[in-house]
Amino acid sequence: MIDFFNYLINGFLQGQIYALLALGFMVIYRASKVFNFAQGELMMLGAYAVWTLTVGVNLPLWLAIPLAFVCAVAYGWLIERLFFERLVGESVFSMVMVTIGLVILIRGVVLVVWGAADKSFPVLLPPAPLIVGEMIFPSNLVIGAALTLVVTLAMSWFFNRTRMGLTLTAVAEEPSTAISLGISVKRAVTLAWMMGSVIATAGAMVLLSGRSITVQTADLALASLPVALLAGLESIGGLILAGAIVGIVQALVAAYVDPVIGGSASSIVPFVFMLLILLVRPTGLFGWRHVERV
Amino acid sequence: MDPSGTFFTHYAGDRSLVRTRAQWACLALLLLVLATLPWWASERWVSIGYTTFITAVAVVGLQICTGYAGQINLGQSAFMGVGAYGAALAMAAGWDALAALLIGGMGAALFGVMFGLTAARIKGFYLALTTIAAQALFHFLVLNLPQGWLGGAGGLHVEAVTVLGISLGSDRAIYWFSYAVLIVMTLGALGIVRSRHGRSFEAVRDDDVAAGMMGIPVAATKARAFLVSSFYAGVAGGLWVVALRHVSVEQFTLFNAIWMIAMVIVGGLGSIVGALVGTAMIQLAREGVTSLGPSFVQWVPAVGQDFVFAAMNVLLGTVIILFLLFEPKGVMHRVQITKKAYRLWPFPY
Repeated sequence: MIDFFNYLINGFLQGQIYALLALGFMVIYRASKVFNFAQGELMMLGAYAVWTLTVGVNLPLWLAIPLAFVCAVAYGWLIERLFFERLVGESVFSMVMVTIGLVILIRGVVLVVWGAADKSFPVLLPPAPLIVGEMIFPSNLVIGAALTLVVTLAMSWFFNRTRMGLTLTAVAEEPSTAISLGISVKRAVTLAWMMGSVIATAGAMVLLSGRSITVQTADLALASLPVALLAGLESIGGLILAGAIVGIVQALVAAYVDPVIGGSASSIVPFVFMLLILLVRPTGLFGWRHVERV
Repeated sequence: MDPSGTFFTHYAGDRSLVRTRAQWACLALLLLVLATLPWWASERWVSIGYTTFITAVAVVGLQICTGYAGQINLGQSAFMGVGAYGAALAMAAGWDALAALLIGGMGAALFGVMFGLTAARIKGFYLALTTIAAQALFHFLVLNLPQGWLGGAGGLHVEAVTVLGISLGSDRAIYWFSYAVLIVMTLGALGIVRSRHGRSFEAVRDDDVAAGMMGIPVAATKARAFLVSSFYAGVAGGLWVVALRHVSVEQFTLFNAIWMIAMVIVGGLGSIVGALVGTAMIQLAREGVTSLGPSFVQWVPAVGQDFVFAAMNVLLGTVIILFLLFEPKGVMHRVQITKKAYRLWPFPY
């Protein structure tokens, strides 16, 4: 029985890490209606920035981590300035296509700058497990989950309660109306990409702490996709619940089904689960229903 | 528009694809050059040729799904993989290559239509994103089904391939076979997009609510687009097995699917010829960098081999984004504009 609770809680914590990665997708979606296929690549870029600052230049952690976030803001801004600024007013379809181009571009840039060899990512979070009674929690997951909760709630508050956040929502819903109301679409989209990059970097720090990174690291972000879709692409607060559900289901399948079938069914469960939920609730758990007019 | 002096007295003429004698001549010349290529070009070109043909089959399918029906499809590479495994199993059982291609295509179509059917409930980006699940499912199934079925991580190997009794052992034979298949598949695609189905694809792409009101079954149309698209991917996967005689799971990645989307974008969304042009351009550019890379390293030894390959991704990624920013309708659109301007010259319209 204690095992069961262990799986449950560890699944919950792991799910929150996915939720942090999914938050990166969502922030950009909420502010520009663009689903960023290059979110994994942003995370990878953040990971390499952290690597360069800590291992490459050998800065102390207290300096390297804020600097990594500054870098994230910088390349978020750069991506918007180079590509998305020109697409204001174009269809969402072409913006999404640009993010697909970004996947190829960022992977290339990373290969050019850092090469294809594995890099070992510094240990940012303490690896020692936290033991409470008979329960064991990896403390990096606990810290990661706590960070996710804080960031997610902060973002949820930002988008739903602050003037700036509501401005971003307005821009996403109807850019031309937003412009005519005196909202700067360019500034809103820039802010979205900066936040997306910063959250991706935070996700990289939590997820990759103590692991090795290559170009393939970017694929890890896809594991967070079911969480984003399950929550509904608009609902930031819903991520916490969606992350918990996906994480727990995955952990239970990994614990009880994988040994029986002798394979890694747990890797596929989030996707299958997501498909089933979407068939019942096409906009995810908390996504917005849109009334369509012709 | 047609050049001055070209007009048709029959409906058949008005709906023809090749409209003037000059166009017929150019087309025939192109087909002839490609058909005779193995006789006068080096082996390297032959292998570049058939890889391009094989990719083109999958990209034409993707064009129908993404360019015509407007459904972003990130599962094309996985669908190709399913087709490849299906065809490999059929060929290993000693079936003819043509039958194996059909098996591969139908297997992939069955897998693909599962994602299309979700269109009955899921709309818009949610639908596009679920196709990523195709990739995850494909990987999982291949790696976790019993070793005896699909060979697990080691993949499947096919000994000999024959089509109608002719052995497809040499590169030339593979070249002609994939060329013939590409021509048939392209003709099929041109037929589909001009038919009732093609028109309903375009209607759904442009506005699915309006299309529904006009009596087009929207969900069924989207499912059909996925069906056609994954059938094409499956046939391409079958050709892949014919060419390489080996199929394993890491040959079909999400990154490949992204490249296919890039080919569609460069060629031009909503044009079958564009899909062919885009595939040829990107494949040739990739091959060009791959084969020029070593000699570039010889001139400038300071840059390593790895750098050149990495730089290729940067270059092509930039090209794709530049296309989206400055030529979002692709090469074919520009060609059409230029052609029209040339025919109207010196008048503006």
